[in-house]
Parts: sequence; structure tokens; C-alpha cells
Amino acid sequence: MWLLLLDNVNLVRGNKYILKDINAVFETGKIYAILGTNGAGKSSLAYLIMGINGYEPSSGRILLDGEDITNLSITDRAKKGLTLLWQEPVRFQGLTVEQYLTLGGKIKVSNHQIEFILNFVGLSPNLYRHRMVDGLLSGGERKRVELASILLLNPRYAILDEPDSGIDIMSLSMIENVIDYIVKHGGTVIVITHREEIAKLSQEAYLLCNGSILTQGSSDRIIKYYKDRCDECSHVNLPSLEEMRI
Amino acid sequence: MISTIDQRKEFELLKRAYEKAGGDASKFLNKRVASLIISGDKVIGLNGLTGIQIFPQQIQDGVRARIVVEKNTIIQTPIHICTGFVEKRGLQKVIFEIEIGDNSQVRFVAHCTFPWVEEFTHSALALVHIGKNAKMYYSDEHYHSDTGSVILNTTTKAVVEENGLFVNNFVLTKTRVGKLHLDASVELRENAIAELSAKVKASKLDQVLIREKLDLIGNRASGIAKTTVVALDQSKVRVVNEAYGVGDYSKGHIKCEEITKGEAVDVSTVPVLKVMNELAELTHEASIGRVNANQLQTLMAKGLTEEEATELIIKGLIG
Repeated sequence: MWLLLLDNVNLVRGNKYILKDINAVFETGKIYAILGTNGAGKSSLAYLIMGINGYEPSSGRILLDGEDITNLSITDRAKKGLTLLWQEPVRFQGLTVEQYLTLGGKIKVSNHQIEFILNFVGLSPNLYRHRMVDGLLSGGERKRVELASILLLNPRYAILDEPDSGIDIMSLSMIENVIDYIVKHGGTVIVITHREEIAKLSQEAYLLCNGSILTQGSSDRIIKYYKDRCDECSHVNLPSLEEMRI
Repeated sequence: MISTIDQRKEFELLKRAYEKAGGDASKFLNKRVASLIISGDKVIGLNGLTGIQIFPQQIQDGVRARIVVEKNTIIQTPIHICTGFVEKRGLQKVIFEIEIGDNSQVRFVAHCTFPWVEEFTHSALALVHIGKNAKMYYSDEHYHSDTGSVILNTTTKAVVEENGLFVNNFVLTKTRVGKLHLDASVELRENAIAELSAKVKASKLDQVLIREKLDLIGNRASGIAKTTVVALDQSKVRVVNEAYGVGDYSKGHIKCEEITKGEAVDVSTVPVLKVMNELAELTHEASIGRVNANQLQTLMAKGLTEEEATELIIKGLIG
């Protein structure tokens, strides 16, 4: 069984803990939700797992199938099957959707596969494969292109940072299909979301508050906890002692 | 079309160089495509079409050509201009006087091919006049030798009359630059539009000086001047983009993007905006620095190395 494990990970900037005492296990073939209010550290956790510059753990280890990947580069982690969907994917001047999806020809895929994947994320191949991945794409279109790119990578671990942001509510089923597709192809999905419909797809969830894992467990329970207590929490990201004792 | 055996050989050499650089030389032999082929100081190919007249003339070390597109002429197929030099040393001067008649529309595809030169200077001057309601697109791509010893001085001075359009694209990205001095300026009358664009990749000891200038004279004239440069190794790049707002409601935008890679690159940009009419509006944007970190990391998170990601980003920027 593949396993991604965070072992007592801390991320400190200056005197402030961005992430504190993170212990988490992500098993293969499952869907995990990361919940938390704004500023709780969800995206930081995603960047830390992916190895993004500036998010190197101050202490602790990240293990993939027992191998310590804490000091591996982004590229090396990606080659081991990790990938990240950014909350706001960056634009690329002069690259067509097709060039972007194939990473300039690095990924060998057939025309049929490109058409299939674009259709899968709700983009007509005729209209989009030769469009530029630049500022002329709307936020939603850009997000769909990024989802298509993730699918073509066939990742073992896909960290999706708010895949639904920028996507109209009528297209949530597309996001669900993307997550389902990754899992059916043997991957694990770690999804950061504020949307209940997306969180409910997961089997397990972690609730982050002020950089720490406040609680974890079955998604139903964590979602209920989040809805009951975090939505109207008067001390956002400053959990009370009572909450810390859960 | 080709009058002597020597010229035929020269044509074959140019054709080979042109195709090596990715061009489609079959257009030069197509009677339905207007074309002008210059090698050194000789015209070795010339084909006009109805509505287009080309008057070439040999001058010392080069060729002067007057190209006239008659009024109300719309040419669907681009006019091909190939300027080449097949010797190793020398000087080539090219002067184009281009007159686009009122209501006409024409597209030029120009290639300058100097693949074997060792010590060579190419001086090009284009004097362009675009009539009322006329549109002209000029795409100028250069292929130099890899010695970095080409000196290229290219100047474009254009005047665009009422409601006219001028789009000028200069590209030198596939080979070494050598020393480049590019100076493109356009004067825009009422409602006229211009887009000046330059894309250059400088490497090793290449030196680049680019100046693009918009004179927004007429009311509601508008223009954009944009420069994209990738500077590698020890290359030196200076970019000065200027816009002058004179006409009522004239609008200009200048943009310079310079990507640097190499510890010894020396790159700068100076935007010059001058409004001489309170109703004019000018803007600029500029960036100099390494490849955007978010772009890099996005591609690296898909498995590309930093080098591969940089290469892909640069490919997108400059083609």
C-alpha cells in the first residue's frame, strides 16, 4: 500500500508557527479533505507537501512509501507521483493549451487523449486546444485547463487546492468527476475546500486551525464539526483550550 | 525570374539557408505570390502582382526598393521578402520605401538570412507610408550565424494616416544576435492604430539596443509598443520605449518584459511617456528578472526540471 506520511512537521516563519505538529497519513486510493477557515494553513500544508520554495519544514519529516522525501526538490517529488493544483493557477504567455498539457511535447499523448481530457473538464477541444494559457482565459477556464493537466499526469497523489474556486456552481459535478477519475486510476486525492459538496466526496478529513490539526476522522464528523463550530467561531484560528482538547 | 547561373546558385544557397531556418521557400517560386529576393547587393528574384509594384535598384553595398500597393488593393497572400548574404564578410544596405494606398490591405513576411557570415553588417531602413483606411502587417524574422559577429542596424519610420493600421513584428530568437540596434517609430494620424513588437533572445556576448516609439498625433490615435527580451549569459540589453500623446483622446501603452538568466547579464529598460494633451492617456508596464517563480514551480510540480521549465516558459514568451 502506498502511503504519504507527515511526521511531526513544523513550518516556522520568524517566530510564528505557520504549521505546528502536523501528523497526517494519506493512504492510496482514498480521498481526503483538508478543512479550515481562511488563514488556517491549508494552502501552506499543500505547498509543504509539494516542496514549494519557502515552505520547507523547519522540523519533521515527509515520507512517501517509507522514503524520506523532505529534502527532495519539487521535480523529484513530482516524478514520484505527487502533483499540485494551485488555487489560482498562473498564466503562461505564448503557450497553447495543447503545449501546456503536453508540457511542450514532454508528455506523449494522442490527439484522442487530449480531446477526451478537454471534454472531460468541460472544454471543447475545437475551441480550446489552440488557445493560449494566458490572461485571456477566464479564471474558470484556466482552472479547467489545470484540472485537465493534472488528469493527463495520472498522479499517485493529487493535492487539489480549492479546485472549485472560480468554477461555476453548475459545474461542481465536473470537479467530482475529476476526483473520481484520479481515484479510479489508482491515485489519492487530498482536496482543500470550503464547499461541503466537495468535502463530502472524501472518506476522511483533517480540520486545521491556526496551523494545527484540530481534529481528524471520518469526513461526516469533521464536516459537521466544521459547520457547527468553525463557521461561527468567534476566535478564528485562535482555538480555545476546550477545542484544543478534542 | 532568375537571370544568371551564378544567381541561381546564390538563390539555391539562400533557399537552403531559409529552409534550414524553418521558412517555406516554395513561396519564392510561386507566381501567385509577390516576392522580392535580395542577395548581397543584387536582386535575384522579383515577382509583382496586380496592384503591387516593386521597383528595386542596386545601390552601393545594397539594394533600394520602392514597393507600392495601389489604392483599394486587398492582397490575400503575404508579400514575401527575403534578404540574404551568402559571403563570410561584408556590408549590406537595404532601403525599403513602402507606400500602401488608401483602403488597401497587405501583409508582408520578411526573412533576413545570414547563416554563414563571420564579419558582417546589415543596415536596413524602412520608410513606410500607410494611406487612409489602409492596413499593413509586417513580420520581420532574422536568422543569423552562430558566431555572434553580425552587426544589425534596423530602422523603421512609419506614418499611418487616418483610420489606418500598422502592425510591425520583429523577431530574432532562433540564432545569436551579435549587435542589434533596432529603432522603430510610428506617427499616427486621427483614429490610426499601431502595434510595434520586438522579440529577441540575446546570449553570450550579444548586445541589444531597442527603441520603439509611438507618436500619437491624431485625435483618438492609439498604439502599443511591446518588447520581449530573453537575456542569457553575459548579454547586454537596453530597451527604451516611448509614447507621446498629442491628439485628443489618444491612447498609448508601452510594455517591456525582460527575462534574465545568467550571472553576468546586464539589462535595463527606460519607459518614456509624455502627454501633451490633457485628454491623452498613456500607460506602461515593465518587468525585468528571472523567470516567474510561480510559473517555474507550476511546471516543476508536473515533473519538469528547472531547466526544462525555464526553456518552456521562454519558448512561450519568444516563440
